[in-house]
Amino acid sequence: MFEEPVRRRGMASLTPLIDVVFLLLIFFMLTTSFLQTQSLAVVTPAPSADELPTDARVIEIWLLGDETIAIDGQPVARDVLAESLKQAIGERTDLTVTILAEKGSKTQALIAAIEAARQSGAKSVGTARVERIAR
Amino acid sequence: MIEFDQEPPRRQFETLIPLINVVFLLLIFFLLAGTMQPADNVAVTLPKGALNDKERELPATLIVEADGFVWLGDRVMDAKLAGHFVKQHLGEEGARRVAVKADRDAPAEAVLELMEGLREAGVEQVTLVTERGS
Repeated sequence: MFEEPVRRRGMASLTPLIDVVFLLLIFFMLTTSFLQTQSLAVVTPAPSADELPTDARVIEIWLLGDETIAIDGQPVARDVLAESLKQAIGERTDLTVTILAEKGSKTQALIAAIEAARQSGAKSVGTARVERIAR
Repeated sequence: MIEFDQEPPRRQFETLIPLINVVFLLLIFFLLAGTMQPADNVAVTLPKGALNDKERELPATLIVEADGFVWLGDRVMDAKLAGHFVKQHLGEEGARRVAVKADRDAPAEAVLELMEGLREAGVEQVTLVTERGS
């Protein structure tokens, strides 16, 4: 009466399985991120530069508009910033480190300066932004 | 004349099995090694940093774009006014600490201006998000 159903030979076709697995693979490849983020906690700065101490017990990091960094007027390379600052401070860890950002300086330099100030062992760090640093 | 044995023709699925093995392996690698994060409204290139304070689960994330504009959720604002918005958005209590994702090319003065505004709004600590590497 009815035809006998055709018996499939051996294993069923693998193509749909492969399709689905490829789809999943591409989905995970596109949605995952391997970016390792870290966090740097800073206390929010005083609203104006006037509140920062300006006497001799201050060391200034200048973030200049041409994307270079200077410590108290001496230009330093970014990768030796932490060491130079440590040298400049020496034993006088009661110094205040002030970070002055000139117009045109970038956040990358600011982060580098904040980290250097933190690693140098100075007790207090202040930040201020200025239009132009008088040299 | 030398005669070789003819290899019997393989069936289709047999040749596919190594491929499937590799694809499964890749799939499991991406499943285990990757972390999924909800995407931000704006893509920023995070600055590179060396220190990690391991601050987590901050109530709000502000994003500073490379041109200095600040995003909070789906709203864009000037760096100067962001403090006010944060206060409005989170209330007095909720916003003691906020995270700031700044582009590495964002002007430093915009970030500082933002932090000053946040201080006026009552935020005591800002967490700058950086990427590992120096």
